[in-house]
Amino acid sequence: MDQQKVLVALEDVSTYFTVSGGMLRGKRTVKAVDGVSLEIREGETLGLVGESGCGKSTLGRTIVRLNEPTAGRILFEGKDVTELKGEALAQFRRETQMIFQDPYASLDPRMTIGEIIREPMVIHGLYGTEKQREEKVVELLQTVGLKPDHIRRYPHEFSGGQRQRISIARTLALQPKFIICDEPISALDVSIQAQIINILKRIQRETGIAYLFIAHDLSMVKHISHRIAVMYLGHIVEVGESDTIYRTPMHPYTKALLSAIPIPDPIRGKNRHRIPLGGEIPSPIDPPAGCPFCTRCPDAEERCFTQRPQLSQRGDRAVACFALEE
Amino acid sequence: MTEQQIPVDRIPDELFQKLDDSEKNNEFLAMESKTYVQDAWNHFKKNKLALISLLFLAVMVVLAIIVPMVSPYTYDGQDLSLRNAMPGLDHLLGTDKFGRDILVRLMYGARISLSVGFAAAVINLCIGVVYGGICGYFGGKLDMVLMRIADIIYSIPSMLYVIMVMLIFGSNIFSVLLAISVSGWIGMARQVRTQVMSLKEREYAQAARVMGASHKRILFQHLIVNSMGPIIVNTTLMVPEAIFTEAFLAFVGVGISIPQSSWGTMANEARSLIQTYPIQMLWPVLAISLTMLSLNFIGDGLNEALDPRKH
Ligand SMILES: Nc1ncnc2c1ncn2[C@@H]1O[C@H](COP(=O)(O)OP(=O)(O)OP(=O)(O)O)[C@@H](O)[C@H]1O
Ligand SMILES: [Mg+2]
Repeated sequence: MDQQKVLVALEDVSTYFTVSGGMLRGKRTVKAVDGVSLEIREGETLGLVGESGCGKSTLGRTIVRLNEPTAGRILFEGKDVTELKGEALAQFRRETQMIFQDPYASLDPRMTIGEIIREPMVIHGLYGTEKQREEKVVELLQTVGLKPDHIRRYPHEFSGGQRQRISIARTLALQPKFIICDEPISALDVSIQAQIINILKRIQRETGIAYLFIAHDLSMVKHISHRIAVMYLGHIVEVGESDTIYRTPMHPYTKALLSAIPIPDPIRGKNRHRIPLGGEIPSPIDPPAGCPFCTRCPDAEERCFTQRPQLSQRGDRAVACFALEE
Repeated sequence: MTEQQIPVDRIPDELFQKLDDSEKNNEFLAMESKTYVQDAWNHFKKNKLALISLLFLAVMVVLAIIVPMVSPYTYDGQDLSLRNAMPGLDHLLGTDKFGRDILVRLMYGARISLSVGFAAAVINLCIGVVYGGICGYFGGKLDMVLMRIADIIYSIPSMLYVIMVMLIFGSNIFSVLLAISVSGWIGMARQVRTQVMSLKEREYAQAARVMGASHKRILFQHLIVNSMGPIIVNTTLMVPEAIFTEAFLAFVGVGISIPQSSWGTMANEARSLIQTYPIQMLWPVLAISLTMLSLNFIGDGLNEALDPRKH
């Protein structure tokens, strides 16, 4: 994997929101994403995992410029995406796409499936004539396992899993190099989750697309990710190869997340003890001064409450924890 | 998905049940494909009051077009030998104090009243949708400034606009339209703004942005189209409002000039005869109220038919 080219690079990216905290408190800052550095390589899937509210969606939305970063740089193929304009921006819009969590909200209810999948082609003037576009739509429907005669139907006639397929077909219309999948399977039945994962994996094999695959628990990214990044309260606390993270998690938060997954294997399951995650995730409005995880960490020391550990390379992965530094 | 899930391979066999055939292809719903418009029409038809109102309005429009064309009388033709006639075979609704045929005048008035009503609604629709759409979509400072301007326009009494417009452009039907439209679009703008503000956060609007759609495309092809239900309802309700304003202006003597007729001027002229020939007041008042009533019923019907949540 290491020799693969870096497609997307985040350098110390922060995205803050300003919210009004009511009459007396005035404006307050929500540090949704706070100093994140990450790399996504060509053709790979990076799983991004963390509890609800830790800033996963915001990070994804910042990459595709739905949110403006407060600080830091986002490079797509070496170019700073916040500075793109004109034709370069249009090209960026073709090459990066996003699939959203809620399959019921991500398709315009007043458009037919054909119109929905055709729209990106119309916007970018792809595939020439109407007839060629229609053919392409049919081809895309088949790629995601839907029938050509669905073309004239409306989104409300489809189930969640089918709508997510339609979303995938829509992103593929632009032949992107990179798709952000923001919890695309969280809203679906367990039996249908696997189907969607398999479609995404097949498409990756055939076209070499890179994914940023967001999920809130490790079991969901297991089958698709090459590498995994664990996020907590706006920070990345551990990144590494998928296997490494699963076999030997190092950060206390990763360990806790991993221990929460029910394991089908009874032998391994017995030997394993669950690490309880006590307490609530702190609010991103006033995060702890030191390590973001210090309030819930079983091994927190004194300095964890005052200093912030940096993400640093520990053998085959990067991890942000004082206890692991010598 | 906060609840703990048992992995499929750990569920004991006895918990599985055999699917009966009816559930087999559940993923592929065999629902009949109906377009939004068909669906709405089917629901509208069920509302009898709205349907009758629509019929009434259609008949009114047709009569307004053909009656003045085929009638032997004209709206200004006086017959001084036949003043204040009661309804009869010659004059179906009777004649007024100048011996003019009331039916022709009423239908000629319908042309004016209905055109003013619909034209005002269309003008307010266009301005309101664009103005409110821009405010709601872009938000921020632009929205603040534009909405404050709208508030100011709205806060000035509309009679002031009427007087100003009449002074500058004279007393005619276009002045009436202009006077109604100066502030008439603001309600629509406010409603569209609220709609667009909430819809722009929907994921399909975000998806459109990610795929590179222009602001214009997102606003008009996605957000406005999806606000169409409330917009149409609001437009329907603006028609009777404009008809009433025109009638009111005509009644107090501003607006279209004699001998042309609108429902308001007819009511005005019948005022002096209210003691002796009250029936002459009845016709325009009936026309105004029935038209307003039926447009309101149609608005209500559309409100229900166009909102899938109410089905
Ligand atoms: N537009 C916004 N304005 C203010 N705060 C926001 C905004 N968007 C997100 N936030 C806040 O930023 C934090 C991170 O939100 P985000 O949606 O990125 O989390 P997430 O990890 O995707 O959670 P989930 O698993 O629930 O989707 C949350 O506290 C959220 O309330
Ligand atoms: Mg999210």
